Amino acid sequence: MRQILQTAELLCTRCPRGCLLRVKVVESRVAVEGNECPVGEKHAAEEVFNPRRIVSTTVRIVGARLPRLPVRTSEPVLKSRAIDIVAALKNMVVEAPVKAGQIILKNVAGTGVDIIAERDMERA
Amino acid sequence: MKDVAVVGGGPSGLAAAVRLAEKGFDVAVIEVMGELGGMLEQCIHDGFGTKVFGETLSGPEFAERFVKKAYSLGIQVFLNTYVKQVKAGGRVKEIVAVSPSGVQRLETRAIVYAIGCRERNGFEIRLGGTRPAGVYTAGMVQRLVNLYGVLPGRRILIMGGGDVGMIVARHLQLEGAESILIVFPEAGFAGLPRNVQQCVLDFGIPFKPRTVVKRVIGKERVEGVVLTRVDEKWNPIEGTEEFYACDTVILALGLVPYTGELKLGVRIDPATRGPEVNEFFETSVEGVFAVGNLVQVFDYVDDAVETACIAARGVEKYLNGGLKTSPVRLAPSGKVRMIVPQRVEWVDEENVVAFLRPAVEKSNARIELRSSGGKVLERFFRRYVRPSTLERIEVSRSVFSGQREVETDIADG
Repeated sequence: MRQILQTAELLCTRCPRGCLLRVKVVESRVAVEGNECPVGEKHAAEEVFNPRRIVSTTVRIVGARLPRLPVRTSEPVLKSRAIDIVAALKNMVVEAPVKAGQIILKNVAGTGVDIIAERDMERA
Repeated sequence: MKDVAVVGGGPSGLAAAVRLAEKGFDVAVIEVMGELGGMLEQCIHDGFGTKVFGETLSGPEFAERFVKKAYSLGIQVFLNTYVKQVKAGGRVKEIVAVSPSGVQRLETRAIVYAIGCRERNGFEIRLGGTRPAGVYTAGMVQRLVNLYGVLPGRRILIMGGGDVGMIVARHLQLEGAESILIVFPEAGFAGLPRNVQQCVLDFGIPFKPRTVVKRVIGKERVEGVVLTRVDEKWNPIEGTEEFYACDTVILALGLVPYTGELKLGVRIDPATRGPEVNEFFETSVEGVFAVGNLVQVFDYVDDAVETACIAARGVEKYLNGGLKTSPVRLAPSGKVRMIVPQRVEWVDEENVVAFLRPAVEKSNARIELRSSGGKVLERFFRRYVRPSTLERIEVSRSVFSGQREVETDIADG
């Protein structure tokens, strides 16, 4: 008998319908129920094996017109790491000026992904 | 004298200004805040720009592309400037604006209004109870958290299961809130599935559907709320009241076009609550255009920006003396809650882009345009429609020829 390794419920985000997908992982393959179209299956596989998100937050900035600089991960990271990433930036302080896209922190929380500035921040 | 004055320096206003400057017009942008970018500056999450740029950007990144373009084109920008009065009746329009440097008068040949939307507030839903500190609108919380690094509270109650409520819940979860609960009178979330998954389900944020806040409790600071369950018609169910302890109440009650700040007698559509516009987003006052969330609240900034680009073509036609014919009314019907534009009247070759909000949830739906006699003039197939997703259609010009009114409806596929 095949062993069910994992089950999950998730919403398909590929169209406005938002099907509730019931996913079972069976021997490194997914079995999906609740999808109204084939896109749902592909989506479920990606979400189960590789659920990645861009994580956005702010860091403290000194010498600028505003006290916070919006930053994000340069690429999507595993969603389970979101809280660690924000925690790693909690006490960080950067100094103006900063340019949009500038790397603020390399390899945040050991994810291999960098944190970049979302906007220019001039020296005030 | 300017060719065009754009009121509002958010994404829609900037898109209109950039397009018009690229066409060679002399453009000024008047912005009430201290910087350009509008509400996107506080929307630091990603997901913007998939339609306009084909990539997913954060709010500030999306805005910055237009801000840089505007400055590089030499568009004149008035910051911290509030439009106090507009005389728009004639060919030459006069704007009276106030800024820290005094009262300024600006003459212009055309005006593009892009002043966006406002948040619905507690008074509009008759939120009961006391008025302690700790009650915020969701947009104010976004500003506090994302621009100033101020957490409004630790134990959070969010009223509203739309996109804004969900996005604010995620920010607060990441920024260290101790507890979050979302309540909403509908049976499920009203926003995009993407936000339900990525903001709520990803973090396991608790959600109580069919629940509303009956009253806020607290003297100096919010101490909690009384929740009550409601039926499908949002009527409170007796005996379901319960106390929920929290120190912050966030109102995510939806957005409405900011027409209160339009200082000219343009006609307002009661369905969109924004100004009535023609296919180039010109209001009922000639030479005065309205774009973006002022016309109707869009789900995607990309769509709001498209209205600005279409309006820029309209401004060009207006300034070059383009011709109009008798207007054809574009009307919603039973299964369509609202449609923009509300009329088609310019002599033009290109397809008419329209945005409509379905009143029903339906799979294999056909969006139909019908003559007043009931004849189907054009139809668009959609795998699935629902009220929380705005539909964009491109209608052939020929549909409108010889008609006085064209009705939109949604039929079974």
